[in-house]
Amino acid sequence: MAGDLIVGVGGDGSGFEAARRAATIADLMHMPLVLVFGYESVAMGPRGGVLEEQVEAVGDEAVADIRTQLLASHPSLDIQVEMVLQRPVDAMLAVADAREATLIAVGHGGSGPLRAALLGSITYEIVHRSHVPVLVVPDDQADLDD
Amino acid sequence: VAEATITEGVASKGLKGGSLGLVAVIVIGVASTAPGYSLAASLGLVTGSAGAKAPFIMLFAFVPMACIAASFYYLNKADPDCGTNFTWGVRAFGPKAGWIAGWGCVVADLVIMPNLAGVSGQYLVLLFSEKQSENIYLTTSIGILFIIAMTWICWKGIELSARSQVLLLGTELLVLTVFAVLAIGKSLGKGISRTVDGTTYKSVHPSLSWISPSGLSTSAIVAGLVTAVFIYWGWDTCVSVNEEAEDSATTPGRAAVLSTIVLLLIYLVVSYGSVSLLGPDYVTANSSDALYALGKIALPTFMVKLLLIAVLTSAAASCQTTILPATRTMLSMGAHGAAPDKLARIDPKRLTPDYSSYLFGGVSIAWYIVLVIISHNTSIDAYATSIAAVGMAIAVYYGLSGISCVLYFRKWVLKSPKNFVLMGFLPTFGGVVLIYVFCKTVWDARKPSYGGYDSSLLGVSPVLVFGTSLLVLGVPLMLWCAKKYPKFFSFRPDPAHVVKDPNSDDTLAAPLGTYTKSNRGQF
Repeated sequence: MAGDLIVGVGGDGSGFEAARRAATIADLMHMPLVLVFGYESVAMGPRGGVLEEQVEAVGDEAVADIRTQLLASHPSLDIQVEMVLQRPVDAMLAVADAREATLIAVGHGGSGPLRAALLGSITYEIVHRSHVPVLVVPDDQADLDD
Repeated sequence: VAEATITEGVASKGLKGGSLGLVAVIVIGVASTAPGYSLAASLGLVTGSAGAKAPFIMLFAFVPMACIAASFYYLNKADPDCGTNFTWGVRAFGPKAGWIAGWGCVVADLVIMPNLAGVSGQYLVLLFSEKQSENIYLTTSIGILFIIAMTWICWKGIELSARSQVLLLGTELLVLTVFAVLAIGKSLGKGISRTVDGTTYKSVHPSLSWISPSGLSTSAIVAGLVTAVFIYWGWDTCVSVNEEAEDSATTPGRAAVLSTIVLLLIYLVVSYGSVSLLGPDYVTANSSDALYALGKIALPTFMVKLLLIAVLTSAAASCQTTILPATRTMLSMGAHGAAPDKLARIDPKRLTPDYSSYLFGGVSIAWYIVLVIISHNTSIDAYATSIAAVGMAIAVYYGLSGISCVLYFRKWVLKSPKNFVLMGFLPTFGGVVLIYVFCKTVWDARKPSYGGYDSSLLGVSPVLVFGTSLLVLGVPLMLWCAKKYPKFFSFRPDPAHVVKDPNSDDTLAAPLGTYTKSNRGQF
């Protein structure tokens, strides 16, 4: 399925702006759009079972919501979903590799350089590790509650 | 909210492949056990009950914990649920015992939080000023901030990268080793002596007899064990849960063995060094900040600071391995309908249990303040007793896990010698030892003089009050939940014949709640 467009989305609906832009491009270029929801809990505690189920439920809802909104404006677009049990960055890169993607789109929530250096930033890590071109889309200003 | 209309086949789950290498698995295993903090918090208490035989207790406490790790390994194959003991307890015994096992886990985590906060507060202040470390308002405020920070980190889902973990743990192990070597070195030959408050402490030559139990009473061994099981707490989750390492057939097993050897060695050399430096009584006399008191004598000044930092980083790691299991057990209890479903609420951005985290953080702070007030206004050393109290809670819920394993896999235990040893004998042995340790501690602690703390709360040792009050509080809470959540309490243990062979490829049990009061006959 070479040529897919990959976009990462979060459980809180973050990445919607990136998904919206990516949908426009994918529609124009007749490519499938793949929504990637990556989730993995930290290694030091017990995981699995209901923890994953609860997180998947959150992810399912967020992804379905985004998908419905995108289909409303791009009815013929092929939108696929990947729920990946890995850190969001690893999830996006793994899906991009597996599908030999053309482009990764990722939202940028406005974390400054210091914050990003201390806490890590999905955007920065993707930009530095991706083998394919990356489209960085600023999140809607109204969503910047954090 | 749009309806979830993801076409079947479109959504794919389980592209799993987090690949942790051998070093990372070992590092997580050792770091989650937090050797620096564990030693700082328990050394003086172990020498208090076992004297120079502390190294024996340190090693011996590993035996029941290793046995229980075997049961974790197998039970995790049947149901790798973040509720661990809670879920397994329900499957093996039924909802009531499962509920209590989950409660025991949360209580153990809660009881240790003040100690973690206290040690961190004190060691952080020591880093800057020895005099101020007596300032209870300062250390308590720092302790509270520490709990808030750690809860925030867990809620946020932040994890240090493997590389920073290696660096932190490397420093910790290096400082501890240098400390032990220099301490043993100073004790050789003529040795050294120090006079504090009219008592003279002298070095003792290290002796092989320190790793033999001869001359110790059962009460002393049990009292030592109840404080020492806590130093291996955290090690088990890692060895049993880290399935997804690179080449998962060999890495986790090898990592478990290697991280265990590292831990045992570090505990052995550090307890040897501590006891020999100025004798066991000096360690006991400084039990609240033993590593610092000893480090000051054995180490050059800059290394003392490193030692303090090592204890602090290790306490932070320990905090993570305390908060995460507690909140995830709470989440599991909420999600399975055994407790308010709010506990299972997930923060959509961080994907972590948020309500459980707030609740656990809040209650920890409240409990911490209660202990500070008790410590400050009475002769009770609430921090020291909380280590023994957490040992009691660990003994109960680990003991239950050991027994759960045998009970749950009863159909498979006698199928092969390997099954018999790993699924039957070791878990039973570990479970029985831990439950015995609990009962014996309850019995011994009925006297105020227990463990040499020599202080009384409600006419008995404070260890008994701290160690059992929260556990006992679980019974009325459980009965209240039984009224409120009849569905969960109609669950029945998995019937023996449906339990799958844990050595096969297909080990997962049917979802919790498949077998209930009304349908059990059908299976």
